[in-house]
Amino acid sequence: MGEAFVFDVVRTPRGLGKSQGALYTVRPVELLATVLRALPARNALDSALIEDVIIGCVTQTEEQGACIARWGVLEAGFDPRVPGVTVHRYCASGLQAVNQAAALVASGYAELVVAGGVESMSRVRMGADGGAQYDPALQWAVGSVPQGIAADLLATLRGIGRHDVDAFALRSQQRAAAARDAGHFARSLIPVCDVNGLPLLERDEHPRPETTLERLAQLKPAFATLGRQGALDALTRRAYPQLEAIEHVHTAGNASGIVDGAAAVLIGSRARGEALGLRPRARIVSAVSVGDDPVLMLWGPVPATRLALERARLTLDEIDLFEVNEAFAAVPLAYAQEFGLELDRINVDGGSIALGHPLGATGAMLLGTLLEALERRGLQRGLVTLCIGGGMGTATIIERV
Amino acid sequence: MSALPNPAGAIAPSFDAARGLATLRLTGPGADNVLDEPLATALVEAVAWAHALPGLRGLIVSSAHPDFCRGPDPDRWLATPDAAALLARVRRVQQALRRLETCGVPVVAVLAGAVSDGGLELALACHRRVAVDDPRLRLELPALAFGLLPAAGATQRLPRLLGLGPALELLLRPAPLGGESARRAGLVDALFADHEAALADAAGWLATRPDPAQAYDRPGWVLPGPAPRSTAARDLVLSAAGALHQRTAGSQPAPELLLRAIHEGCGLVLDRALEVEARLAVSAARSATTGALIRTLWQHRRQAEALTGGAGGAAGQRVGILGAGLMGAGLAYHCATRGCEVVLRDVDPAALDRARERWARRSPGDGPAVPGALSPSAHAAALARITLTLALEPLAGCALLIEAVDEALALKQRVLAETEPLLAPGALWASNTSALPLASIAAQARDPARVLGLHFFSPVERMPLLEIVRGALTSEATLERALAFAGALGKAPIVVGDGYGFYTTRVFLAYLVEGAELVAEGHTPALVEWAARHAGMAVGPLQVADEVGLALARQILAGAQQQLGRPAASPGTRLLAALVETEGRGGRAAGAGYYSYVEGQRRGLWPGLGALSAPGRVGQSVARDSAAQVGQRLLLIQGVEAVRALAEGIVTHARDADLGAVLGLGFAPGTGGPLAYLDRLGLPAACARLDALAAVHGARFAPPPLLREAAARGEPFYPVTE
Repeated sequence: MGEAFVFDVVRTPRGLGKSQGALYTVRPVELLATVLRALPARNALDSALIEDVIIGCVTQTEEQGACIARWGVLEAGFDPRVPGVTVHRYCASGLQAVNQAAALVASGYAELVVAGGVESMSRVRMGADGGAQYDPALQWAVGSVPQGIAADLLATLRGIGRHDVDAFALRSQQRAAAARDAGHFARSLIPVCDVNGLPLLERDEHPRPETTLERLAQLKPAFATLGRQGALDALTRRAYPQLEAIEHVHTAGNASGIVDGAAAVLIGSRARGEALGLRPRARIVSAVSVGDDPVLMLWGPVPATRLALERARLTLDEIDLFEVNEAFAAVPLAYAQEFGLELDRINVDGGSIALGHPLGATGAMLLGTLLEALERRGLQRGLVTLCIGGGMGTATIIERV
Repeated sequence: MSALPNPAGAIAPSFDAARGLATLRLTGPGADNVLDEPLATALVEAVAWAHALPGLRGLIVSSAHPDFCRGPDPDRWLATPDAAALLARVRRVQQALRRLETCGVPVVAVLAGAVSDGGLELALACHRRVAVDDPRLRLELPALAFGLLPAAGATQRLPRLLGLGPALELLLRPAPLGGESARRAGLVDALFADHEAALADAAGWLATRPDPAQAYDRPGWVLPGPAPRSTAARDLVLSAAGALHQRTAGSQPAPELLLRAIHEGCGLVLDRALEVEARLAVSAARSATTGALIRTLWQHRRQAEALTGGAGGAAGQRVGILGAGLMGAGLAYHCATRGCEVVLRDVDPAALDRARERWARRSPGDGPAVPGALSPSAHAAALARITLTLALEPLAGCALLIEAVDEALALKQRVLAETEPLLAPGALWASNTSALPLASIAAQARDPARVLGLHFFSPVERMPLLEIVRGALTSEATLERALAFAGALGKAPIVVGDGYGFYTTRVFLAYLVEGAELVAEGHTPALVEWAARHAGMAVGPLQVADEVGLALARQILAGAQQQLGRPAASPGTRLLAALVETEGRGGRAAGAGYYSYVEGQRRGLWPGLGALSAPGRVGQSVARDSAAQVGQRLLLIQGVEAVRALAEGIVTHARDADLGAVLGLGFAPGTGGPLAYLDRLGLPAACARLDALAAVHGARFAPPPLLREAAARGEPFYPVTE
């Protein structure tokens, strides 16, 4: 098998995913076009050389419906011979796009591919695309609960309490603010501008660095009403009969933020890079997805990580930094607990709790964040992984070259 | 007037040519209208007849009988085991109602009396529903209790009429509605004092030439409330699923299929949605669970009730109750509500005061009448029939005395000695003991032929079972009168032989102790409770032990050890001893047991249980399979005890054993009962499973010889019928 390399990563700043947010007036296809345009522009590349554009997007309906990847390509002014494809693996869609692009390149089917993701959560409401998962027939056969309930279930099973998740959230905020203020994100950030070229958003809008443990502790559990009065906790008992009750610990403050944003990654073969004068920044070492328990839903990063390491013939100690998506604080905490990892190797520049989680784009964004942190710290190898709806996990290992 | 020949005898049609109104009076045989194929066929013919009438402007559907119409008996569903044939039957009934509601003229249903299952579904297919509002009026969908789905359109017409939320509530938690509640719910458009007024309204409404199409058959119609497949609809359905699982722990397939029918059908055009309903209804009806529910809760129960000679005959009977505790007070009240003259005697004035307070709390509140519930005047009349006394004399002349004093043999013997002389000639003396052998209580009786056991279950007014204990010396005449009394009180009786714990208490004890064993072995207590409920038990073994009281449980256990030769000590019995004696946790009444309680409210399992258990042998079980194993073990231990009781002649019919466990103990109804459960496993497989359990957990699981022999002969407890 051949190799796939990362030449560049770009992303928009993440805007608050509500009508007060800076990116609310921006069409999702324009968000996507913003990052797509940046890649040929800053790499002095003819867009006609891009053989495919693979874009992750979760809520594929309304103005994110149909195949937004193709329309993003056209909106970006790429050569119309460049095709586009949209992929959906829930919260890992952006990383899934990267992995598929890497697979195309490694297999030799393509030499230069753009991967990425887009999500405007302020404009296309999460869940607006419906889905089979809450169908009663499926419920009786499989079982599935909303993710927040699953996150609280995970916390309860792993003995992770309210203080733990709040402390983790505070750390995410502090790290993200520090990274933002130190300019760690500057290299990959592409400002989003209006029709006149005036900037709408130049830095991440979601972080709340001023928050404190006391303030976080005052927030109400977000899923207690749904779980207890709405009785949804009861739907987890078939799979977890040993739990008398679920502790509802997750709040708006220790779960990922709802935001708008897009990201793009330029991936290609060593030979095509050399021919075009592109410097490879990292090699894709391993790229996997796994299925896991759909009720617990958020445990997927653990088996995905094990598989990614096994495929790469690496051990945990050979990974310098980890990006574990902060969908809910319990996810990276349970991950660290399971692998015995110190938190100073995980999400070193903060994560989705502080910065937000634009569903379809996050995976590609985290890949970029990881790469830049490795570069800045002079480290070698990193692993990025996300938990996924329906109980899946996707993981990618990269290595600087 | 012109009339149609009516071969089926189900409908008497008539036509008022002057007003253009055809009336279809339901005239089912035996004063009983049943929506089944004959009535469906008659409806189709009648609609065709009416359609041909010149000047037809509307149809009225009413009943010639006191009741409007009902669905078929539950066991009618078992008569057609073939799926395709059953589906065809269901579809023909659906299509007949569809013909009625699309016949081109508006249709009014005039409702009265019982409007249940298919009868209510027939009414829903009409364009307007008016009802004669008297205490007999009840609209209900009781078939779900037998594992049956409404199959004549209710799962589809109710959401279209009322919206998803109210329809989910009405369909998944079916409770009988009286006139006012039905009107408020939107099931009935108007209520009238009598039939004539209701008919006049129907004629008046039809004279206004209303739209002959149902709202959902008109262009542009949208479902009221949240749109199908919207987020709001999804949340409603998901919450309904959660609430259902809270109640059933996933042990009942029928309501789960019902929720599917509502969800999957509500976004489709009605004709196709009815297909979805029919398929799911057939699937439910053909399930083993529904078959078991129908056999036990319908067939066996009716056979038991048939022994009593019916519900008449309590009025004016004089009944004495000895002991005004929870059971005595409840029994007195229940007897009084059924028309008995009751004398309630206690030696403690405070006990009588507490009884009065209990009854006062039962006083029906304001608001719409609930069918079947006591009216304020009936409540007052019942209380007026109760005499409270500290003295013995008022008991003189009672036709029946029932003692409900504490479970102490000497006390019961003394009460018998005191009160037997007061009995009228031919009167009965009954003990409500749950365990003490009748032979020991009646040892000194002057006339043991009239002494028997009447084991009621708490709360008396709700629990349908009466375990009648026939002592060796109890006469046939005494038994006959006891059975008639059971009928008068509306109870389904099982007649059992004398012996420690009789039948139900033995099975109950086996369940309760097995729960303790499981905890003592180190199983997570929450898992044990859930596994029991998932297996179908009404209440988990730890909760039920707390309700009974752990001290009482130990007392019964000691009796069983002495009198039935049960092993004296086991990890479970030691756990019970430690809870009561060392930890001071005697159960709910003590304010602490397996569970913690705050002001009498259960607040979760006591965390200290883990420290009292000895993990290791079976170990911590967490997986789905082990919950299934725990549930099976809890059912099997009761099955073994039921087989023993059958082998010892304590129960004489498998039917009694199953009915007694399901109605008296909340044994998993979907299995049909402990013996039907063994049948379903297959007796050879059940023996093999029991042998395996006995190898690990001891002889209490060993298959009794009767079971082994039945397995070897290939003879299940119930003959396999086609």
